Amino acid sequence: MRTLYLALKYLAVTLWSAFVIFPFLWMLSTSFKTQNAVTGGATWLPWLQFEPSLAGWRALFGGAGGVNIVKPYLNSVVVTGTASAIALVLGTLAAYGLSRFSFRAGPIRNGDITFFFISQRIMPPIVLAIPFFLMLRWLGLLDSLPGLILVYVAALMPIAVWVMVDFFNTIPRALDEMAWMDGCTPVTTFIRVILPNVLPGLVVAGMFCLIFGWNDFFFAFTLTFTKTQLLPVSIVALNSSVTPWWSLSAAAIVSVAPLAVLAFVVERFLASGGLKGAVR
Amino acid sequence: MLRLSNLDLAEDGVPHLADISLDFRPGLTTLLGRTGAGKTTLLRAIAGLAHPFGQISFNGQDWAQLPPWHRPVAMVTQQFINYPHLNVLDNLAFPLIRRGEARAAALAAAETMLGRVGLAQMASRRPSELSGGQQQRVALARALVKGAPILLLDEPFVNLDYNLREGMREELMALLQSGGETTVIYASTDPREALRMGDQTVLMSEGRALQSGAPRAVFAAPAALAAARVVNDPPINILSARLDATSLDIDHLGPFPRDALPEDLPPGGYSLALRAEDIRQNGTVSARVALTEVSGSETVTHLQAGAQPLVMLERRVQSHPLGAEIRLALDLRRALIYGADGALIAKGAAHG
Amino acid sequence: MVEIRLEQLAHAYRRGGAYALRPLDMTWRSGGTYALLGPSGCGKSTMLNIISGLIQPSEGRVLFDGRDVTALETGRRKIAQVFQVPVIYRSMTVGQNLGFPLVCQRLPAQTRRKRVEQIAERLGLGPMLHRPAHSLTADQKQLVSLGRGLVRDDVAAILLDEPLTVIDPQQKFDLRRILKEINAEFGVTMVLVTHDQTEAMTFAEEVVVMNMGEVVQSGSPRALFERPATRHVGSFIGAPAMNFLPADPMGPQVAVAGTGLAMPRPDATEGRFCLGFRPEHARLVREGATMSGIVTRIWFEGLDEILALDHPSGEVRLRAPAGIGLKPGDQAGFVLEDGALRLYRDDRLIA
Repeated sequence: MRTLYLALKYLAVTLWSAFVIFPFLWMLSTSFKTQNAVTGGATWLPWLQFEPSLAGWRALFGGAGGVNIVKPYLNSVVVTGTASAIALVLGTLAAYGLSRFSFRAGPIRNGDITFFFISQRIMPPIVLAIPFFLMLRWLGLLDSLPGLILVYVAALMPIAVWVMVDFFNTIPRALDEMAWMDGCTPVTTFIRVILPNVLPGLVVAGMFCLIFGWNDFFFAFTLTFTKTQLLPVSIVALNSSVTPWWSLSAAAIVSVAPLAVLAFVVERFLASGGLKGAVR
Repeated sequence: MLRLSNLDLAEDGVPHLADISLDFRPGLTTLLGRTGAGKTTLLRAIAGLAHPFGQISFNGQDWAQLPPWHRPVAMVTQQFINYPHLNVLDNLAFPLIRRGEARAAALAAAETMLGRVGLAQMASRRPSELSGGQQQRVALARALVKGAPILLLDEPFVNLDYNLREGMREELMALLQSGGETTVIYASTDPREALRMGDQTVLMSEGRALQSGAPRAVFAAPAALAAARVVNDPPINILSARLDATSLDIDHLGPFPRDALPEDLPPGGYSLALRAEDIRQNGTVSARVALTEVSGSETVTHLQAGAQPLVMLERRVQSHPLGAEIRLALDLRRALIYGADGALIAKGAAHG
Repeated sequence: MVEIRLEQLAHAYRRGGAYALRPLDMTWRSGGTYALLGPSGCGKSTMLNIISGLIQPSEGRVLFDGRDVTALETGRRKIAQVFQVPVIYRSMTVGQNLGFPLVCQRLPAQTRRKRVEQIAERLGLGPMLHRPAHSLTADQKQLVSLGRGLVRDDVAAILLDEPLTVIDPQQKFDLRRILKEINAEFGVTMVLVTHDQTEAMTFAEEVVVMNMGEVVQSGSPRALFERPATRHVGSFIGAPAMNFLPADPMGPQVAVAGTGLAMPRPDATEGRFCLGFRPEHARLVREGATMSGIVTRIWFEGLDEILALDHPSGEVRLRAPAGIGLKPGDQAGFVLEDGALRLYRDDRLIA
């Protein structure tokens, strides 16, 4: 009985894993194919069913008919990383303020301010494209890393605020007050007492920022020309009249890799009890 | 000396503190009052967490501009609040390290204090892994380890099991006795607890400090009708009466001889406060039993004499059937007598 | 309006694991008031949840009026439960809260309104029927929770799980009175779970004292107070706790050395003896004291004072009317009321 149950469980897990991993395997095998192998029907095993080729991968590093993605890749790392870090710091501070202090400007209260932050994500990005373009041009930051970082901070901060306000609200104010009694100023209280207790929130907010930042195509496309390219734009640039499935597949693998690593690390962190006892 | 002068705080028209002026000296002062009487607000004002009008000063130093984190105050509240991300020992060491003590010294002091509250075994646990009583002991130890000259306790044991509560009270008293010059303010809703623990007791109601003094004095002569209500458990009987040249007419209970009262008073309207133990069986006042509560050696009986509710305390086990008619004797010579304005005019000789 | 019988009832949360509730048999008469008393983790809540059907017992049966309901789901047991924290529907008025169980039973509006008004009147909630429920005070909310249980006319028993913890002492009086009146009026069986001995003793006709998953003693408040079956019960019930002094067989008696406290010697004398008496049963005397000692502490409680007396055999506590005029350091002696002394062997009552 018990064995049967275990067997069924493993079967289900295996099926699900296969289902999830299938697109990645297909991508991987496609990245080593040539045009003939792609259009000649579904094939799986290199050497046996098709002759593997490195053409797709060469195209990513300046090979024939391709685009060198090394520099865009580094740009993406810099822009996403920096913008996420800034957005997380500013967003967390803003969220703490919104959670702990009452603001009032005419009819506007805390709730309205929080909604204002979130509303930035409700609008379709196209609405923002033209203002952003004009502002960056005015600042002379079009087609530059600082310009992109600025825009990404604006785009990511609402996410951080939104996630963190909820987390701060779960921490009773009595905890802040107790820290004050223990001689902590509000700043020390925030750093030494409150932040350690919202660690899970910081991880979640950080992850969201990185994912949204990394995957953005729209701003990267509209606010740059040739000098400063980000990864998603350069991947699209790989495309031509004949879709190069092999190099696109290779590019997709390369671009999804950091997020996969991130997901793995966070999962390990959660499983290791890195958050244990942080929340009641 | 901790001095509060003319503290006032109202919110949406509800007074939380109303013209409170009190001096607190080293020793244990209990604040006695019902929920919502303003006890918590008063403690929070002293801690700097509530901001009433008026002045708070400590040893002559005005605290108006002193933020909470600079006040020499430790506080324990009803809820068990500890730092969730730190283990028990680090919880205790935290305030010491924050004020600049060396980590090793802070940990050593924390360990000593943890031993004194009997939690040495739990040093490396997280607060969430402890039982409620243990968590509250950690909170208490964290407040005590700082050695702050002012210790504020807001019904600290109310969420604990009965026997644990008794034990914790004794533990606290023992810890304080070695503490010396600490000014301890302990808020409670339980008259027995407040009278038993305090060197001084302050009675509070609706944001006011009704009376303060030694527990025996406060209990013997509550200065106002509201104070008599607050300080008695079981509840005190309040009767309204008219005195004229020949007799004392008590609402719903009928006429009594004029000399039933402890003192000769001028004619007029009075309120009589009669303790539950001063009502006995076998008298002339007829009343219907509404509820009998037996607790071991005592019986508290709630009665209804017409529209007048009465509470009787007997020092024996006695079961009165619900709805039964019994006849009561009221020992009015032991009554507290209040004027129309609610102020104490006379009291029975037997008290105090 | 139902007799509750527990037959060979026991529960372990894991199969083969330690008992959270040791096997017990118990019968609670219809219309009675009962209290389960013990510290947290003693098994009292487990027992209550088995009766209400929230937990399936691992052994034994639950019978309502002789009918086996062990497998019956909670909703069909006709039981009302009031919890420690008032459970109210915040978005509704008091009246809607009270009437909700009837809405679920699909009763017509006319009947509903009548029942709700009746119950509200009974609980003193009449003037508040149209107020939003979340605006009430804690004790009023608890009344609403209770009222929701009572509003169904087929309710068989009311289970109260520490319902008075969040209520002010003075308001507890009122709530207890209302509970008792309802018990008398509707004849509903009531079971109260509490860790507060005063609450248990004042509420119930019969108190079931529990400790570590076991029923230690079950009896009337008076019996528990006067004849605690174990030292544990003696210490747990009463404030201050019962006094226990080590005693030894001496001639025809078992006595506490250096005092006049003595009981007739039982036939078997192996084991550890001690004598116990209640602080309330001692009376201070100037002469002819059964036992005397030095006053070490005095606690003032208003009407009463509690004295701690030091004696070479141990410390004893006495309850005396306030104003006896003793102070720490004084010598004081007392006699016991007739029949107030109890003999324990290995912490169990034998005489």
